[in-house]
Amino acid sequence: MEATPKSACEACPQFNAAGLKKLGVNTTEFDFVVALAGNPNTGKSTVFNAITGLRQHTGNWPGKTVTRAEGAFEYNEQKYKMVDLPGTYSLLSTSEDEEVARNFLLFGQPSVTIIVVDASRLERNLNLVLQVLEITDRAVLCLNLMDEAKRNNLEIDTRTLARDLGIPVVPTSARFNKGIPELIQTISDLANGRIVCKPHRIKNIPKNIESAVQKLSTEIEKEFPNIPNSRWLAFRLLEGDSHVIEMLRKGELIEELQ
Amino acid sequence: MNNVDNLINLSKDLRWQIGDDFHDNLAEGIYADAAEIVKDSVHKKDENKKLRLDATIDRIVTSRVWGFPIMFLILAVVLWLTIVGANYPSSMLATLLLDTVHPFLRSMAVAASFPAWLSGFLIDGVYLAVAWVIAVMLPPMAIFFPLFTLLEDFGYLPRVAFNLDYLFKKSGAHGKQALTMSMGFGCNAAGVVATRIIDSPRERLIAIITNNFSLCNGRWPTQILIATIFVGAVVPKAFSGIASLGAVIGIAVLGMAFMFFVSWGLSKTVLKGEVSTFNLELPPYRPPRFWKTIYTSLIDRTLIVLWRAIVFAAPAGAVIWLISNIHIGDLSIAAWSIDFLDPFGFLLGLNGVILLAYVVAIPANEIVIPTILMLTVMVTGISGGEGAGVMFELDSVTATGDILKAGGWTLLTAINLMLFSLLHNPCSTTIYTIYKETKSVKWTTIASILPVILGFIVTFLVAQIWRLF
Amino acid sequence: MNELNYSPLTALLTFLGIVLLLFLLFRPGKGWFWLIQKNKESSRKVIIEDILKLLYHSENEEKSLNLVDITRTLKDPDDLIIDSINEMAEHELINLEGEHVKLTQAGSEYGLRIVRAHRLWEKFLAEKTGFAEADWHKIAEQKEHELSDADTDKLSARLGNPQFDPHGDPIPTNTGKMANVTGTLLSEMEVNSFGRIIHIKDKPDIVYRQILAENIHIGSHIRIVEKNANRVVFHSEGEAFVLAPIVAGNITVTELKKDVKVEENIARLSMLTEGETAEIIGISKEMRGESRRRLLDLGFVKGAKVSIELPNPLGEPKAFLIKGTSIALRNNQASKILILKD
Ligand SMILES: Nc1nc2c(ncn2[C@@H]2O[C@H](COP(=O)(O)OP(=O)(O)OP(=O)(O)O)[C@@H](O)[C@H]2O)c(=O)[nH]1
Ligand SMILES: [Mg+2]
Repeated sequence: MEATPKSACEACPQFNAAGLKKLGVNTTEFDFVVALAGNPNTGKSTVFNAITGLRQHTGNWPGKTVTRAEGAFEYNEQKYKMVDLPGTYSLLSTSEDEEVARNFLLFGQPSVTIIVVDASRLERNLNLVLQVLEITDRAVLCLNLMDEAKRNNLEIDTRTLARDLGIPVVPTSARFNKGIPELIQTISDLANGRIVCKPHRIKNIPKNIESAVQKLSTEIEKEFPNIPNSRWLAFRLLEGDSHVIEMLRKGELIEELQ
Repeated sequence: MNNVDNLINLSKDLRWQIGDDFHDNLAEGIYADAAEIVKDSVHKKDENKKLRLDATIDRIVTSRVWGFPIMFLILAVVLWLTIVGANYPSSMLATLLLDTVHPFLRSMAVAASFPAWLSGFLIDGVYLAVAWVIAVMLPPMAIFFPLFTLLEDFGYLPRVAFNLDYLFKKSGAHGKQALTMSMGFGCNAAGVVATRIIDSPRERLIAIITNNFSLCNGRWPTQILIATIFVGAVVPKAFSGIASLGAVIGIAVLGMAFMFFVSWGLSKTVLKGEVSTFNLELPPYRPPRFWKTIYTSLIDRTLIVLWRAIVFAAPAGAVIWLISNIHIGDLSIAAWSIDFLDPFGFLLGLNGVILLAYVVAIPANEIVIPTILMLTVMVTGISGGEGAGVMFELDSVTATGDILKAGGWTLLTAINLMLFSLLHNPCSTTIYTIYKETKSVKWTTIASILPVILGFIVTFLVAQIWRLF
Repeated sequence: MNELNYSPLTALLTFLGIVLLLFLLFRPGKGWFWLIQKNKESSRKVIIEDILKLLYHSENEEKSLNLVDITRTLKDPDDLIIDSINEMAEHELINLEGEHVKLTQAGSEYGLRIVRAHRLWEKFLAEKTGFAEADWHKIAEQKEHELSDADTDKLSARLGNPQFDPHGDPIPTNTGKMANVTGTLLSEMEVNSFGRIIHIKDKPDIVYRQILAENIHIGSHIRIVEKNANRVVFHSEGEAFVLAPIVAGNITVTELKKDVKVEENIARLSMLTEGETAEIIGISKEMRGESRRRLLDLGFVKGAKVSIELPNPLGEPKAFLIKGTSIALRNNQASKILILKD
């Protein structure tokens, strides 16, 4: 996996004008669903606004967005529905404030997940990124707030990062519309299968947990051969997540995850 | 589905084997991976260059000496700009919509030979209410919100929460209530939704119930208008601006005091419990994009206020017209209710007109003042021969003051109206939002009734003490 | 209201009168209204369930009880208790063998259900609410009577079907299975041995409160330093604790092998002062559930570097710099994060 090539013509008008049409709230028919995941205050809503042309409220404090918002855009004659989500620190918790985002990422089956991270605080943001990568095969890392990272004298090697994570990495400064065209191109490539990810799987899991997860996920796979992320289910079960257990019992989860 | 049960049992057994450190170990594992990845791809060029400016600002805005004064100063400056700046566009809009367009519409209706009840209903009821809201509400909002959004974008709000958390903790609430309260300064319904960032259910309920103590969009202009007319008038002209600003800030601060007091009361009684955890990320300061922020928040707020004006003020205007023109016996419904409410209103230092206006205005606080004006005109019979249920020619703040004084208003009425505007039931949108967020009739009822009861008590006490002296 | 006989003074006095009356009626805990309610509440069902629970616990400890023991232990009036016991015998929940009262199969199952509800409630109070630890038992004692079987299952599922309550007592499953606790009493541990606290008995109340006041919690690692007839001394999480042997007898510990590293010089994040840096050792077990997970997700994990970013003139919250971000915490949370100062 390599980083998205820098578009040679970021500035040329065709790039924006020809393929992209901001559709605002018109989300009636669409070919793909794109979800925006990320820690709070990393610029998800700003990215959302830049792509859909809407005016979701943004603000410089964590927790500005608390409900899910939808918008749409069209790129190369394909329609994409975009979903802006509240920020989350983790998919593993059961806290109520993060429920909206967690549920959508886990059960909403987005075609592509954009993980927006703060480039100057990459390490703490990776906590969520690595969890999202456990459950999806089609994701792109939006390395946002690059302008601030530069001011903090940080240099980020996006190629290495993309290789380590196994997904494309696009540096952006959403507030100044920098890198947004590349992001859209990458979304389209992922949605159409032109880029295939090999997402990073968490390595440093303690042995006893790993073996428990393996045991449980083999059992889950035996039971439900078509399930896409049995490992994640295993994590939830070990966490004692009652929601997942209930759905397993009723068989709903199986439908939703497929 | 026996196999699912087996899976669940297996997971239970495994959980027992790996012990209760599961989450700790997993989190540590993930962070270990993260650290490895970061080591490979992130390089810091110049180790010890830290953002000095951020740290300096933080030290000042959270310092013991300057923290609170700065908060009040910012509030004062924002309100001052709002009050002063709104005057001019407000009177322009009033001249246009009420003095020019309104007579024109009437003459159009006459020309098209509308029946009197229809033109009364549409033009004197619906149109006037909407026009008044636009003329009086829109300008202050168009100044207040962009300013507020600039502060929000700069990153000041989390520092307010940081400063106030100690007080919130003492009253058994969550520090992030400061953030939801700030959102409430815009719109209480939005403030109630914003309480989702508070992750403990008990503290979230407290934040929902007390959000109404933040003066909202629909109530700021009422405060400003009444303070300008009545409070500003009792001091020498040179100080009238300061006096009315002081009164409005006083009410806003009183609202915060009530918020702390009620939070404390709730956490000592019905919502008993210990304070739980609090964690707040303090983001770096970010210079706001001045013009873009001004532009978007102007457009957004304008649209919202206009929309609300049409959705709520129009039908309310119609209702006002109707109750003033449908008669039971020889009294209109409005006159009848005002007579009925008057003694009670007197006890509270208000009057029947005000109480009826608050009933009519449950859908939207924005229309309280136009309703009061219209009903006062009807009761006193000072309208320029336009008939019952017609507002008046409102071309200036002074004219509004004259009408109210003719309706028997004193300084006490004005002060109590300001208090009651702070302490009364939330608007219907907010009530509905509270119900959606809590899914509980009980808490929705408490959140709706509690402020009115407080309002009754406070205005009652003020009125009695005022009259004693 | 007629304005002729109105005077602000009478209005004020009337108001004060009403306020006083409401206060007497609804004063929290002591208001007349609540007192009347309470009397109604101590119904037959509650007494029966309390007796069942009492019998269940004593049969587990292989003690048998007679009528006198029961009337002495429960606080309800004796005649009500006797009535209840007769009713229980009628419904075949108990057998009366002379003076001795024995649970039948049905009675023992019923008792187990109450125990399950009680322990689940304690777990719920610990994980999801902010009630003080010392109050959990009392609240659960009331709530256990209000849950139907289905409610209990729902509560259990919501909590992730936990196996232990916050005191370390096993929670029976809905089929009556229960994990067993094996361990050594703290008072019987050898000097210099290591252990992990797995259970704290919540009765008698005085002893329990004393343990809580000492800030001793389930899951903490300890090392016994001294033991004699007068006192047991142990170290845990950077502090030394001294307990009387009877108090220590209320705490159960599993022994740990010696190779488990026990750090000396451990401090708490709340003790960090400006300008110092430290490394996080872990989060104390007192921090449970949601809030513990949130701290971990925020980056307060073992090995992370931490320092004070922004002190607070009012004392708290303070903002800590952790993994590149400043995060404000109140003191009661910071005091549960264990650190090693650099
Ligand atoms: N300098 C700079 N600021 C940015 C950039 N992107 C976003 N911001 C600012 O970062 C702040 C947070 O942006 P939001 O879009 O509200 O963040 P979010 O991720 O939606 O936040 P939550 O909804 O709270 O989770 C705002 O003040 C934005 O203006 C960027 O690329 N550069
Ligand atoms: Mg957002």
